[in-house]
Amino acid sequence: MSRKLTVTFLTMLVLVGAMGLKTVVVTHGDGSVMMANGGGGPVPPTPPLGNGGGGPVPPTPPASAPWK
Amino acid sequence: MLGPYTYFTWLACTLLEASVVVCALKQGAFRRYLPLNLWMLLELLSGVSRFYVLSTYGLQSSAYAYFYYYSDALTTIGLYFVLASLYSRVLDELKVEYYVRMAAILLLSGTAVVSYLIVRQSSHLLVTRFAYELHQNLYFVGLVLTYLLWGVMLKLRESRTRVIQFVLSLGLLFSMFAANYALRNLYPNVSWLWNALPPLIDCFLPLAWCYTFLKIPEEARLMPSRLAEASR
Repeated sequence: MSRKLTVTFLTMLVLVGAMGLKTVVVTHGDGSVMMANGGGGPVPPTPPLGNGGGGPVPPTPPASAPWK
Repeated sequence: MLGPYTYFTWLACTLLEASVVVCALKQGAFRRYLPLNLWMLLELLSGVSRFYVLSTYGLQSSAYAYFYYYSDALTTIGLYFVLASLYSRVLDELKVEYYVRMAAILLLSGTAVVSYLIVRQSSHLLVTRFAYELHQNLYFVGLVLTYLLWGVMLKLRESRTRVIQFVLSLGLLFSMFAANYALRNLYPNVSWLWNALPPLIDCFLPLAWCYTFLKIPEEARLMPSRLAEASR
């Protein structure tokens, strides 16, 4: 049982560490994407943020918008 | 606009990914390193399909954007399983395979839940945002896991050269992306350079793994703790 709890604790620690690192990077960065581009190919526009920065969620974009 | 540089690096990367699988098959290591090879095949398939979607629908099309981010999320999940398999390999003498599997499932579920919590308000683009967020979050989890794995390898005095090469290549890949991102923020006036580097960095991992399969025999041994001492 204690081994399982240790694994769970370590897992949560890694998750918190990774999310904390991501928060630091995103806060201090220019908001652009940082990730490996597996498979290659040009990067398309980033999907719009749903709730980043707070504020009400904008109305649903028209059907012609690139992101739905 | 897509120039010859984009197509050249894309083609080079795709060919290198195919070479990894061919080299593994040639050296009889395909099944021994099955998750690594399957991930390379997935990357290869993803690259080829992206080219098809891009040439059919165009760069600005929503079809390409959806396909790009969904396939990226899928390949990042694949990379996560590659890391889990490397953990299993490094810790196999401790007989903790069950716990590694448990940790892998917990961490993947945890990351998915965190990603969902981040995007749950954007109801009209939930699936797309979720795929994008999961990809980014798993990328950071992968980065932390890779550095942790290298620490574990030093502690356990892992000596299999191939495994060391696989893990170090992954660590170097993550570090290069992080350095590129940091430099882009430090020197935004040369953004063309920082935007041109990621496709080249992408080629590094299949190149390093290709070299590992070709030049390093399975029986080769190395002491990573000595490497660490030498650098002090």
